[in-house]
Amino acid sequence: MSRLGRWRWLLVPVLVLPISWLLFTGLGRDPRTIPSPLIGKPLPSISGTTLDGAQWDSASLAGKPALINVWASWCAPCVTEHPLLLDVARRDAGRLQVVGVLYQDTADSAAAFKARHGDGGWPDVDDASGRVAVSLGVTGPPETFFVDAAGIVRYHQVGPLTAEVLAQQLPLIGIAP
Amino acid sequence: MRRWALPAAALALVALAVAVLLVVLQPAPAATRQEQARALAAELRCPDCESLSVAESRTAAAAAIRAEIEEQLAAGRSPADIRDTFVARYGEWILLQPMSPLIWLVPIVALLAGVAVFGWWLRGRRPSPSAPTDARDIAAVERQRIRDEADLLDG
Repeated sequence: MSRLGRWRWLLVPVLVLPISWLLFTGLGRDPRTIPSPLIGKPLPSISGTTLDGAQWDSASLAGKPALINVWASWCAPCVTEHPLLLDVARRDAGRLQVVGVLYQDTADSAAAFKARHGDGGWPDVDDASGRVAVSLGVTGPPETFFVDAAGIVRYHQVGPLTAEVLAQQLPLIGIAP
Repeated sequence: MRRWALPAAALALVALAVAVLLVVLQPAPAATRQEQARALAAELRCPDCESLSVAESRTAAAAAIRAEIEEQLAAGRSPADIRDTFVARYGEWILLQPMSPLIWLVPIVALLAGVAVFGWWLRGRRPSPSAPTDARDIAAVERQRIRDEADLLDG
């Protein structure tokens, strides 16, 4: 007993501390949130045909900050964030580019969505094949990439945009409120 | 507890660990491009469904990843290169198996540590040789105490 007794106080730090640390950090994390490895890296080169039938290439973004918004007409949170995107596109017209990526959807449904919820006039790349989404590491709409004028991804919002997110993250790509 | 039991158990566990490592680390045999594509797809997590590999899933994103794997293999890139490309986009999350196979050793190391602590505890419990160990000794000690106390009373 004496051999163990002398070291018994060690049991608390050796057992209790790691377990509490695991419980506090591990269980507090949402397993659905995925870290974004693209942050701080150049936006992957993406291209496709827009709903208007034009060719679009991410090379055209160069020199101006951009929001790349991945959306779909069947995505309910996309409806929630849409007014915010319309606001931002109007307010920062001229210094911010907005580009939509239509995720697993049809052109008809997308047109109906815009007719109902408002059309900001920005290009929407039709990503029926999912290749653009896979290039960006998208798991599901809505997702928005904040890209600065140098083409570096500064922030990646998974889930709907909020006024707070826009106020906090737009300055990162050089758009002061 | 027999003296050799603990070291033997530890040795067995180390052997098990080595066996696991050998299985995990064994190099994949050379394969056709189709087999390579299929193997790589089975290693990647489908992004828009849970707990399925890209090879098993029928979603559009899984199909897009399979198409991209085919293209990149056709372009002459190695499976490891292509895997890294997807990790750069999605993070390590996209891999169904952890990057480092050493992580599989963690439970074995934890088990070894547990055995060590248990053995240590058993040794601690073993009574020290000076203490009385059987009923006769205890009776002797008791008798001595009674005698001493009687002496005190007499005195």
